[in-house]
Order: sequence, then C-alpha cells, then structure tokens
Amino acid sequence: MVILEATNIHKTYGTKKNLQEVLKGIDLRVEKGEFLAIMGPSGSGKTTLLNVLSSIDRVSEGAIFIEGNNVVAMKDRELAEFRKRHVGFIFQEYHLLDTLTVKENVLLPLSITKTPKREAEKKFAELAAELGIIDIQNHYPSEISGGQKQRAAAARAFIHEPSIIFADEPTGALDSKSASDLLHKLQQLNKKRKTTIIMVTHDPVAASFSGRVVFIKDGQLYTQLYKGTETRQQFFQAIMQTQGVLGGVRP
Amino acid sequence: MSMKQLLFRNLKQNIQHYYLYVFALMFASALYFAFVTLQYDPSLDAIKGGVKGAAAVRTGAVLLIVIVAVFLLYANALFIQRRGHEIALLQLIGMTKRNIFFMLAAENVILYYGTLIIGILVGFAASKLLMMILFKIIDIPLAASLSFSGRALVQTLIVFSVIDVLMMGMNHLFLKKQTILSLFRTTSTTEAKHVSVWNMVVGMVGIILIGSGYGISTKLFSSDWKSVQGLFMAMAFILGAVIIGTYLFFKGTISFLFHLWRKQKDGYLSINDVLSVSSLMFRMKSNALLLTIITTVSAIAIGLISLSYISYYSAERSAQNYVAADFAFTDKKDAARFTAALRSHDIRYRETIIDVIEAPTDISMILDIADQSRLQFQPSAAPLSVISDTSTGRIDVKPNEALLTGYEDLLRQFLPFKETGTIRLEENGRMVPLHYLGMKKDYYVNYHFTYGMPTVIVDQTMFDRLQKETDPQKKKVHIGIHLTDETNIERADQLFQRMEFSSIADSRLMMSRHQKQTFGLIMFVVTFLGLAFLVTSGCILYFKQMGAGEEERPNYTILRKLGFTEKDLLGGIRRKQLFYFGIPLLLGLSHSYFAVRSGWFFFGTELWTPMLTVMAIYTACYSLFGVLSVRYDKQLIRKAL
Ligand SMILES: Nc1ncnc2c1ncn2[C@@H]1O[C@H](COP(=O)(O)OP(=O)(O)OP(=O)(O)O)[C@@H](O)[C@H]1O
Ligand SMILES: [Mg+2]
Repeated sequence: MVILEATNIHKTYGTKKNLQEVLKGIDLRVEKGEFLAIMGPSGSGKTTLLNVLSSIDRVSEGAIFIEGNNVVAMKDRELAEFRKRHVGFIFQEYHLLDTLTVKENVLLPLSITKTPKREAEKKFAELAAELGIIDIQNHYPSEISGGQKQRAAAARAFIHEPSIIFADEPTGALDSKSASDLLHKLQQLNKKRKTTIIMVTHDPVAASFSGRVVFIKDGQLYTQLYKGTETRQQFFQAIMQTQGVLGGVRP
Repeated sequence: MSMKQLLFRNLKQNIQHYYLYVFALMFASALYFAFVTLQYDPSLDAIKGGVKGAAAVRTGAVLLIVIVAVFLLYANALFIQRRGHEIALLQLIGMTKRNIFFMLAAENVILYYGTLIIGILVGFAASKLLMMILFKIIDIPLAASLSFSGRALVQTLIVFSVIDVLMMGMNHLFLKKQTILSLFRTTSTTEAKHVSVWNMVVGMVGIILIGSGYGISTKLFSSDWKSVQGLFMAMAFILGAVIIGTYLFFKGTISFLFHLWRKQKDGYLSINDVLSVSSLMFRMKSNALLLTIITTVSAIAIGLISLSYISYYSAERSAQNYVAADFAFTDKKDAARFTAALRSHDIRYRETIIDVIEAPTDISMILDIADQSRLQFQPSAAPLSVISDTSTGRIDVKPNEALLTGYEDLLRQFLPFKETGTIRLEENGRMVPLHYLGMKKDYYVNYHFTYGMPTVIVDQTMFDRLQKETDPQKKKVHIGIHLTDETNIERADQLFQRMEFSSIADSRLMMSRHQKQTFGLIMFVVTFLGLAFLVTSGCILYFKQMGAGEEERPNYTILRKLGFTEKDLLGGIRRKQLFYFGIPLLLGLSHSYFAVRSGWFFFGTELWTPMLTVMAIYTACYSLFGVLSVRYDKQLIRKAL
C-alpha cells in the first residue's frame, strides 16, 4: 500500500525577478512501512524535499498524496492537525525549545493526544533509556551537547508513535556508537510498528540501514538503490559507489 | 552599500520596529511642551485660589521630565542591546567603533529630532485642549486662548537635547565596553533556570514584607504612634517593606510558584503551559527588577490620581458639609438684607432658622477609644453645638434621648464613636444623662459652629431649658437660605458676592468653586503625570515583550513545524501576556488600594467611587499595551513558518 505519493514536485524560492528553482520535478512513491533514505550533495534540495513532503512547506507545482489525502489541497489547519498527530520529525537543527527541559520537550507531542500521564511517563522512561538521555532529562537544551540534543529530538519524534517519521540528518552530530544506536532504534520502529521512515543523510553507513536509497542531484531524482536481499555491508558498498559517481561529499 | 544607504535602511527598519518608541517620545515631548506652554501662559495665574497655577504646573513639568528621561534612557539601553548582533556584524565587515558610533548618532539625531519636532507641534495643539480641560475641571467659564511661546520651545529643545546627549553617551559607553564576541552573545541563554529552596525562602520573605506593610498601613493613622517621628518611621517602613517585598515577590515567589506548578506537571506540559509559564519562568529573574519598578510606578500613579480625584470628587460634598444651605448666615440682619435682595430679583427661597447653643457635653462613654487620657481635649466636657429636634423640621427625639449628626469623616478616623451608649449634657451645673441614639450623616449647621465635630440634637423641651440658662452671648443662630428653584443659583450667588456682610456668611456655590479650583488644578497636574507614568511603563513592558518575542521566534517556528496551529500558539501567548502585564497591574492596584485607604480621609469624603473609577480607567489604558503585545506576537507567529 502506498502511503505517500508525490508527482512532479517543483519548488522555487525567491521573487519573480530572482527565481531559484530548487526542486525540478521530482516523482516519489513511498510504500507503507518503508525505510527510505535520501542522499545527495549539500544544497541539492534534500531538506526542501523533506519539508514539502511533510507539509511544512508548500510546493510550487505538483501533487502530494499522503494516505490518499491530497496534501496540496488541504488547508493549513488540517495540515497542522495531520502533522501533530501522525508525523514525527527529527530536524537537521534539532529544533528543541530552549525554554523547556529535555523531558518536557520530548513529552510535548503527547499533550496533544491526551495520553494519560502514567502511560506518558512509561513511554518516556523506555525511550529515554534506549536513547541514553535519562541523565539529562531535567537539563535545558542550552546545557547539553549537540549529540544529546539530537537524541532528545529523536525521542520527541518517536514518543507519540507516529505513522510516518521524517528525519533530516538524524545522526549528523553523533559519534558512531550513538549513531548506530539511533539507527537501530529507527530500524526497530520500522520493523515492529511498521512506521514509515524517510531519512535524509550524508552518511552511507546510516543510509545502509534503510531499505531503499534515493539519490537527488540539482533538484532532480538521479537514481535509486534497493537493498533487496543484500546484506547491509553489500548495500553499503553499493551506496558508496553511487555516491562516488554522483560526486557528493565523501565521508 | 554606502554608509548613507545603510543609514536610511536602518532608519526605515527601526521606525517600523519601534513605532511605539517613536510614539512614546512624541507623546512625551508633546506633553512636556504643552505643560511648559501652560506654565508660561499668563492666564493660568489668573486662577484664584490657594495654589498658584503656574507653580503647580511647573512642579509637574519637572517631575514629568524626570520620568521621561528615565524612560528614554532605559528604552535606549534596550534597543542598543537588541542591536548588538547588527553592530557586531558591522564590525566584522570592517567598520570601526567610531564609524558605528557616528552611524548610530546620525540615525538617532534624525529619528529623535524628527519626532521631537512633530511632538512639539502636537503639544502646541494639545496645550489648548489641555487648557480647556483644565478650565472645565476647575469650573472657570473662560475661553482658552494660547499663543505659541518661544520660551517654551527653547526650554523643550534644551531639555530634550540634554537627554539626547545622555543617550549618545550611553551608546558610546556600550560600544566601548563590548567586544565582537560578546555582542554576538547578547541574547540571554544562560539565565539560571533551576529553582532552589532559596527561592522559596526569598519568596516567603517577600510576601511577609508586603503583608506587614499592608498590615501597618491599615492602622497607620488610627493607632497612636508616640510622635510625628514615629509616624514617619512607620511610613518609611511601609514604603520600604512593600517595595522590597515586591521585588522579592517577583524574584522568588512567582518563580517558585511556577516551579511548583511545573514540577507537579512532571514534564508533561500542554502547549499553553509551554508558551506561558515556561516562557515566563525563562525570563523571570532578569525581569524582576523591571517588574518591581513598573509595579511601584503604577501603584504611585494610581494612588496619587485616586487621592487627587477623591479631593476633587469630594469638593462638592465637603462644600455641602461646610455650608448647610445654599447660603448661610449667622446674623439676622445680614440674612434679611440678602433675602430682600432675592425678593427684589424674584428669586424664591425657603428660610430655616436654627438656634444653636454651645454646651459642654460628656462624650467619654461613647468614644470608641480605650485610653482617653492622651486626647487633646476633655472628653467629659467637650464643647459641642446643640440644636433642638423641632428646628430640624424632621427629627423627633424623646426628652431623655439625644442624637448626634454631621460628623466629619477625617475626625471620625481619629475619634471613632460607638453605636450606642450614654452622653451627658450640662444643665444647671448638673450633668444630665441622655440615651445616645446613634450618629446621623446630615449637616444642619455650618462648619463655623462645629469645626467638624458632631452636632447634638435634643428634644425641644430640653433645648428650651438649656437656652434659658445660657448666657445670651453664647446663643447663636444659623440662618439657612434654600432656593426653591436651583437654577437661580448663579444669579443668587452673584447677588451674594456683590453684598458686604457684617458677620460670617457663606455661599455653598462659592465654597464649592473654591474647593474645585484648588483640587482641580492638582488633579489636572497629577493626572497628566500619571498618564506619563502609564504610557512610559506600558511602553517599556511592550518593548521588553517585543524582545522576548523576538527571542522566542525560533520556538514558534519549531512548534508550527511540529503541527501546532497559530490558534494553538495564540492561546498560550494570551495567557503569557495576561500574566506579564496582569501581575504587576494587580500588585500595583493592591498596593495603591492600601496606600489610598490608609490616608484617603485627609483628602475627601468619598473613597470608593473615585478610587474605583481611577483604577478602572488606569486598568483599561494599561491593558492596551498588553493587547498590543499580543498583536505583535500574533504577527511573529504568523510569520514563523
Ligand atoms: N527558505 C529558502 N529561501 C531561499 N532559498 C532556499 C531556502 N531554503 C533553501 N534554499 C535554497 O535551496 C537549495 C537547497 O537547500 P536545501 O536546504 O534543501 O539543501 P540540502 O540538500 O538539505 O543541503 P544540506 O545537505 O547542506 O542540508 C539551496 O541552494 C538553498 O540555498
Ligand atoms: Mg539539509
């Protein structure tokens, strides 16, 4: 079943005089329960794509359907409602609220669904242990490191068990151990809960956790790789090769 | 980009951004100029009465400029800090501090003097309006005519230039002290946010201080301090305790209460909480001093305006109490001459004649004071005015009873009476006990007879006996003239004023006018000062909230990305501004209430109506700034995604 279908996505920034076309007609189809990675050189439009797919930003042209809903035609209020309940975000810049402690940040999405407090507490304890943020749960974002912020942001994306998670460079600030912990967590959510995951990354190792890698270049789909039955190692090699051809930044 | 372009671009941005600052500066200069124009206007000195008009206005102008100066300097400090980022960037691209200073100075001069000129023009227009309002308040039927005063212009320019120089000096110091790195870090991220037990202690001390200040204030004038010095000590203590208490309240109590509340939530906050309580807590400590000042300033403004309005409002009432008829005489011949004049002008009237005798009265048993030995008079033989029940025309007391009436509120505070009891009147050298029926409000005879003390009403038979034995010298009479048709009052008053009388004679209208002039002028000056207080403190809170909103803008973006709608966010914002503007206001209202209550009786006869009126108007005007803040945040939220 297709959860997300985007056809002929265009996105232009700037004024009439000074137009910059960032996305130049991208088609993308994501199956329910898929773990998709998006790769591409810096500035190629990955974050922009993620933004329009997740309805944070509007497309200039094209159609997007999520679970059969025409996102382009939806009102801002409906989109917001959809994001609040069904989408989890891990942003490139973490996006934690500096006025809240780590725990408060993480629990924020639950306040919408009116989850009972005991249950919320339980969920938090579980996630915090897995992501290693228990010790810093009462700290403010300005008091923790980049990697810790990233893990807190990930916890916030997972806590309300969204049906789809958008992650922009979720491992960018993490050491390899924390990174693989987080990726395993993503993989586990994907396998157990059938959560759809769309993840932007520069890191071929991170990408190798996914089931499919989409490469974009200059705002267009360049190619894609399926993991299929390959092992992660083999998949990793394939990604490295494609990336070499693409001329992206090598890790 | 050339320096000039940069300058104008900045200027344009700043005007958009700081329109309220521009407005406040304009308002301040207009008000000041209007005041100074009034001060130099000769017609103001024509106002008769106890206070010299120009002197009152001049004092007002001095106070006004102090408020304005503090406000402008503070606002300037806020703005320059806000622009730290921009300044650092300019330095990074190679501008020297000197260059930047001159750029800022040029910007400032254009903005400042441009606004000042407009303010002065507005002020000139307003001065006429002010004059008209003043004349209306003090009930002078004069047309306001004003000419542009060169002296006022020069004085305004000089005063505001001095402030401007101070502002530039401040900017200069700011630039000199800062390094590029520190400028990039101007936004506050490292406020101590963790709340300790210490906060609770501090908060408790704050509440105790405020409470004790209030407590003492309620019995400031009723309890007997050993001396005037003691009284002043008590006042100083109240002032200090309440102000320090307020500061500690903001610094400790609020943070602590919020903390408790937040702790109880245990990390599970709703979007409303996130945008109100957490956001407030995040900045509460650095705001404590500011909020204390705002609270104090509001309290002072509300208190002073209330008191002056109480005086003004009571002017008519106290004139009524002082003069117990439209016109009152103490000599039958004077009264006859006046009534003849009335008749010749076809003005109809009613005459009441009340015989008054002064008799030593023992009120020691109904005085509600335990220790009467320290009183200035003999309560067992107080010289009170006595009248008969029939002469009042509507009251009947039995031969062994007595009623008291017409007691001044001010005295009542110091010499409270019981509800019932026994008083004794001297008759034939013997003290006759009478059953005391209570205190009525009506005044039957003039202030000249009673000096504020109550009048005793006894039965006619008793009165006749008393009068028989009284020395004819001590027999007095009150002749009250009541006009049948009150619309004739102006004409009658003119007649009254044209005549000369051999004994004491009063016109209620004249008395009321006189009171209104004195208190109206004071109220006028105080109200406009209060207005200046209000506008400046409102603006400062607004600027602060603008800055805080700016700092929180990324948070709005995040929340909107996560799927919270503008409406979701706005709910929290409203609550935040309600707290931020509401707490100082409530505290200020409460402070001023206790301040006014402790001494209002010195100012007039009516507490609630004038005080509540002033409070309501103040609250409404002040709330405007809260509304503006919400509006500003609303725009921020809309643009956040
Ligand atoms: N709000 C915006 N306004 C104008 N241009 C933008 C905006 N956001 C992105 N761009 C432009 O769109 C292009 C793609 O940006 P995007 O952030 O999508 O790249 P990216 O692939 O995520 O890069 P990176 O890997 O560095 O995160 C860039 O050239 C950027 O300058
Ligand atoms: Mg990006």
